[in-house]
Amino acid sequence: MSADGVAGCGLRLRTGLAKAVLSEVARLLERLSDAGETGAVDLHSLPMTDGDRAELEERLGRGEIEATLSVAGVSRVWETRYAGVWWVRHFGSDERIAAEEIAITHVPQILVAHPADIRAAASALRDDLATQPPQGASEESRHVGP
Amino acid sequence: MSDRETLGAALARCGISRRALLKYSSYLATLMALPPAASSAMAEALAKARRQSVIWLSFQECTGCTESLTRSFSPTLEDLIFNLISLDYHHTLMAVSGAAAEAARLEAMKENAGKYLVVVDGSVPLGDDGAYSTIAGITNRQMLTETVEHALAVISVGTCAAFGGLPHADPNPTGAVPVSAIVTGKPVINISGCPPLPEAMAGTVSYILSFGKLPELDHLHRPKAFFGDSIHDRCYRRPFYERGMFAKSFDDDGARNGWCLYELGCKGPVTYNSCATLKWNGGTSFPIQSGHGCLGCSEPGFWDKGGFYRPLAAGTGSPGVAVGAAAIGGVAVGAASAALHRRRLHDQGGEKPK
Ligand code: SF4
Repeated sequence: MSADGVAGCGLRLRTGLAKAVLSEVARLLERLSDAGETGAVDLHSLPMTDGDRAELEERLGRGEIEATLSVAGVSRVWETRYAGVWWVRHFGSDERIAAEEIAITHVPQILVAHPADIRAAASALRDDLATQPPQGASEESRHVGP
Repeated sequence: MSDRETLGAALARCGISRRALLKYSSYLATLMALPPAASSAMAEALAKARRQSVIWLSFQECTGCTESLTRSFSPTLEDLIFNLISLDYHHTLMAVSGAAAEAARLEAMKENAGKYLVVVDGSVPLGDDGAYSTIAGITNRQMLTETVEHALAVISVGTCAAFGGLPHADPNPTGAVPVSAIVTGKPVINISGCPPLPEAMAGTVSYILSFGKLPELDHLHRPKAFFGDSIHDRCYRRPFYERGMFAKSFDDDGARNGWCLYELGCKGPVTYNSCATLKWNGGTSFPIQSGHGCLGCSEPGFWDKGGFYRPLAAGTGSPGVAVGAAAIGGVAVGAASAALHRRRLHDQGGEKPK
């Protein structure tokens, strides 16, 4: 298993699958650019060897954004060095990969806050403000002025 | 969690965000080979759904199917399935017993008439009037017939419930039959395997909950998402098979270096299941990765097919599948048995020949 919990078959063999996935990503990226249509390649269902996976990661590289999410376990999302091509890796139990895809999109859906969560957050914040003791303000005022 | 509120509201109350639901849906979409875009729609549908009532009946079985579903999950992503269902009756898992347990089953049947799912593990013995297995004073057959009457659908988990399994193996002393031999007029989904993959069980239930319909099934009534490809189709040793590089004994250099286990009796070419992609124990490994050929446990009659260590080319004992022993040695053998199996499936209205 690799450091990032990738449980492969232990084979370094490169079967050519990485190249096939890259061609598919290139086709989807053109479609995003030309028609604004998003797409994805599900990596988990492909019989990739560890060698294939390493080759794919190497070829796509890392871009400007990396995010770690704590949501029902850990997820890691990063933009590859190709803008609009994201690697989304979801971990399940024991930090093993439960789902993994290359998302071809402006922003992966999992990073976007859902309206229902925003609604709940707005009301929670309002409640917090209403119930918070005025202690914070007095502490701050002690530091203001000479 | 009240059964009347939506799952979205119930999960929010437990501090589980929509992001978590989306992550779970991505996981399900991956499991079921749905287009990745389906995950958002699934998450929205699950948020609006109500908890699914499930009545789980265990008949002539070893409890391996329940172990498979419960032991593989730790309280993270995969665990979310237990927030989506209301397990109203399960001999092994429920706290109550005796008359109170049976009352819970009858209550769930009444309250959720037409909407509950019945999950069955184990075969049903019919020999000697069903005397080999009884629960609460009634035979398994009686309990099954009574419970499925107002069910939405029945899910047979494990090869025993789906195809008779080990109890059905020759000479079948208890007269064991699969669930489908008794249940008529209701959809029956088979999730075979000894035990079945937990993801296949959880994925199928979640699919029904999100889409309000049954997933697409193969000619043996198994969800195509999990049983659409053979082990061989998805096996990482396949490149060696194609080159005719076969391990000659367990743990020889070839076996260690990923060579094909066909000559050691691997039944991967005629076995349909997802072990090669989903793997076992949280994605750690699967039999072929551990150096042992596939036993073919998700196929009907796997126990009686002529020996786990005999190559397929020596014949499986089922009519019409034997390939001449003279053909042994090389790629052609494996290709012949895989192709023959595909043709047989096609003849049965199953998979198209490739
Ligand atoms: S025969 Fe078995 S070990 Fe060989 S490629 Fe097929 S499934 Fe894998």
